[in-house]
Amino acid sequence: MTSAGLSRRRFLRNASLAGLGAVGSSGFLAACATSANSGPVKQAAGAVTVQSNLSSPEAKKAIEALAQAFGAKGGATATVNTVASETFRTQLPSYLTAATPPDTYTWYPGSLLSGYARKGLLLDVGDVWQTMGDYSAAFRALSGDGAGHQVFVPTSYYWWGFFYRKSNFAKWGVQPPTNWSEFLALCETLKGKGIAPIGLGAGGNTPWTASAWFDYLNIRINGAPFHRELLAGKQRFDDPRVKKIFDPWRQALPYFDPNGTAIAFQDATTVLLQGRTGMVLTGTFFADAAPKDALDDLDFFQFPILDPAVPVAEEGPTDGFFASARTPHVAEVKEWFKYVATAEAQELYIKNSSGTVLPTNPKAKDNGTPLVQKGRKLLTDAKEITQFFNRDSSDALQPTADAALIRFIQKPNELDSILSDWQTAAQKVWQS
Amino acid sequence: MRRTRTFGFHLLAGGLSVLWLLPIALVLTTSVRTFSDIASNGLGALPASFSLDGFGQAWGEGGGGHAMLNSLLVTIPTVLLALLLSSAAAFALSRYRIPLRRTIILVMLAGNLLPPQILLVPVAKLAELLGIYDTLTALIVVQVGFGLGFYTFVLQGFMRSIPDEIQQAALIDGAGVAQIFWRIILPMTRPALAALGALAFTWTFNDLLWSITVLRTGTVMPVTPALLGLQGQYVSNWNVIAAGSVIAAVPTVAVFLRFQKHFISGLAIGAIK
Amino acid sequence: MAVLTAKRPDTAFLAAKRRRRRISPVLLAFVLVPLVVEGFWVFWPALQGFYLALTNWDGVSAPTFVGLGNFAEMFSDDIFKTAAFDTVIWLVLFGGLSAVGGLALATLLQKERRGVGFYRAALFTPVVFSLVATSLIWQVIYQPDGVFNKVLGAIGLGSWQHAWLADPKTALYAVLVPALWRQLGYVMVLYLAGLKGIDPALYEAAKLDGATAWQQFRNVTWPQLRSVNSVVLSVIIIDSLRSFDVIWSMTKGGPYHSSEVLSTYMYATAFQSLRLGYASALAVVIFVLAFGVIVTYLVRAFREDS
Repeated sequence: MTSAGLSRRRFLRNASLAGLGAVGSSGFLAACATSANSGPVKQAAGAVTVQSNLSSPEAKKAIEALAQAFGAKGGATATVNTVASETFRTQLPSYLTAATPPDTYTWYPGSLLSGYARKGLLLDVGDVWQTMGDYSAAFRALSGDGAGHQVFVPTSYYWWGFFYRKSNFAKWGVQPPTNWSEFLALCETLKGKGIAPIGLGAGGNTPWTASAWFDYLNIRINGAPFHRELLAGKQRFDDPRVKKIFDPWRQALPYFDPNGTAIAFQDATTVLLQGRTGMVLTGTFFADAAPKDALDDLDFFQFPILDPAVPVAEEGPTDGFFASARTPHVAEVKEWFKYVATAEAQELYIKNSSGTVLPTNPKAKDNGTPLVQKGRKLLTDAKEITQFFNRDSSDALQPTADAALIRFIQKPNELDSILSDWQTAAQKVWQS
Repeated sequence: MRRTRTFGFHLLAGGLSVLWLLPIALVLTTSVRTFSDIASNGLGALPASFSLDGFGQAWGEGGGGHAMLNSLLVTIPTVLLALLLSSAAAFALSRYRIPLRRTIILVMLAGNLLPPQILLVPVAKLAELLGIYDTLTALIVVQVGFGLGFYTFVLQGFMRSIPDEIQQAALIDGAGVAQIFWRIILPMTRPALAALGALAFTWTFNDLLWSITVLRTGTVMPVTPALLGLQGQYVSNWNVIAAGSVIAAVPTVAVFLRFQKHFISGLAIGAIK
Repeated sequence: MAVLTAKRPDTAFLAAKRRRRRISPVLLAFVLVPLVVEGFWVFWPALQGFYLALTNWDGVSAPTFVGLGNFAEMFSDDIFKTAAFDTVIWLVLFGGLSAVGGLALATLLQKERRGVGFYRAALFTPVVFSLVATSLIWQVIYQPDGVFNKVLGAIGLGSWQHAWLADPKTALYAVLVPALWRQLGYVMVLYLAGLKGIDPALYEAAKLDGATAWQQFRNVTWPQLRSVNSVVLSVIIIDSLRSFDVIWSMTKGGPYHSSEVLSTYMYATAFQSLRLGYASALAVVIFVLAFGVIVTYLVRAFREDS
């Protein structure tokens, strides 16, 4: 009994010491502790909360610099609250329907936005647009809610292309192609040299990168309007026009990295830089995964034109901000929007981030490197701009694309059943 | 004979331990590489660099001491409160003939059978209703509520096997229910309490789902969800994330090491020969 | 069993005392307070979740009632059938191996001797380590040119090399390994606590009778572990059916649903497809499955005990 008593005393002593320790240290950091424990986190009057999903260190730095510069101008202030992007995505409905929602949010325009707009959750910012000068009509249309109001302020966008290492291409003695047959010939040459010509990073947690292929083949062959209709549920996935785009893909499949569906896109970037693959169809965000010294060695070429009769479209995903309709700080929020839409704000953001994004303000300067100039030209020359699969359709449709496309890459002969399964899954999404 | 058996034991146990720790070792090596090294050579390559920057970055960007404090402010009260309540319930339900006791145990356990993901939205709304949304109190209360069914079930399993004579002797001595609980049964359940305490600490500390659901602002985030925020939208600094995981593992491993002594005390007569 | 005989009152005095103090208010509080806390935070949201299973809801607008429509949809849903089948496989393999493995490890490491604390901590560390980091490392291990394939090649089993997580035939089984790696330490801890409660005198008696290690296990350890077993096995069943984190972080149920289990399918439906009504219906199925398995086992175990 005594030994049990002693040990029990020791156990209880440890537990109470731990408890005392917690209480004691909370006393030390009283400011944090009291604000954490005394009710929900309150925001100072005249402050705008920006709920941000820009969790990569550089993007986070950039947006915090933006908030600081905004506050330094006098008037309203902004506090940035960053959460992981996957968390942000799953919690966004909760944020918007909460009793005290955050004021503004980083997000993307297009159908991802209009769903919430249709339910009246977003603030109308038409008056901010009137002060924004001459943004392109494409951006204005993109930022609408489908009923004539603007609910979004775009601040940056980027492009997609076949990225490669200049030094590697020089080493292999090859040139970027200008049409599809040249592209296939390039692949054949590279394969002969023992290199996997087309890199892919659709494994791990990034199967969505395969959707770029689907998007591009569709807009090259069927045009952007058909592509948008398909993603909005107005066309079927088992339509013969959709089936047609898999023919050129099948021609390119033998040249894909055999491990393409087994590695995540960040690893695919490493493999590209090491010279084990030739080129990867990716967006400029991949540059964040590259070591700094490799950035100057990067170049890209446009996804080859397959049908010259189809108006050229490019993928140019756009990022920006929107606000909750129920925010109590409407005036301050509009101040923030006016600020982020200015050229100086966008230049500040680009300077602090990785530098491969383009500003949406036509007067703002990008970071001037040849790569970025080339990208800007690519997008301004394009007749149509699409946003990327999930941004043009919905986050709910993306997993159906992942399942279908990964299956196609691994088992191209099952195309018919793949497309009919895709149509079934998509219908369930559109009907809910 | 004895020597070969001891050697055999250490070979087997040691071999298993090494195998088990291999992935952890990989995490450790990743945490001391530089980002350029990982980006150029891949995660699976042998390290070509050594740098402790990852730890500094993880500590700074992951919320630092503040997040760690939040974690402790949530975990310690949760474990204490949950174990107190569940041991009380387990005691009553396993040592006394309360009507419907088996049904109550099953009902409490049933609460843990429902996948938590589906309860996220109702619980968030409930927290909002009570005005504790986005506070650590909400997280504590939610974690306690969710652990109760399971902890009660586990503890009653251990408490049932305590012989009845001791309780009867105390009854004869005139002890009340609370005294029997506190002075007799609870000390005898120490191995189970210690085991469950270590596990409860781990689960509460490493919890992601509830933290994301009831908390919104960075300043109240505990360490584990704060580390999740180190992942970028497209690209992540794996060395920083690995370093952050090492930092976050320290308290839980320490607790386990400290508590595992209690798995062995008590009926140790004759065990060491 | 000791508990069995002791529950019958052996003196009239004690019987009278117990009958008189039927349920003291303290006891009532001991039971009711936890029950109320759990009721508020678990049962009330659970009821709401059950209700949602009868609706279509996207998380933002008001839910629309559809009765049993979600359940009807499940019957014709191929992915649901795949997920259900995979869940059964998972239950048998993950559940079975963690029970056997955990008990074996606990038996191995139960005696206090030099180094055993380190070994126990080593086996428990994966339980404790963040899932984000460990799933990343396991993905690296499983990569086509990763550690696992390299080892296979080195020992001459090159033909066994696969893209473990990307090949639909191997994905589910590949995820089993890190899941077990994270689970065994935890089961071991539960069994350790149970083994500590066994009176060493029983082993002494068995050894005097000349029993081998295996006979000791079968005739002393196993029967003594019975009540602990009911707990541990229930825990294992619950964990197997709710296994979500490891599978989701390694494959998200892919490639194209080949490693989908009911819990990952439910999560994907709730937070990717934003069909919270259907997801709630799936959750109800998981719940019924878990409850059915546990209850049949526990009712039998309880009946044996009294």
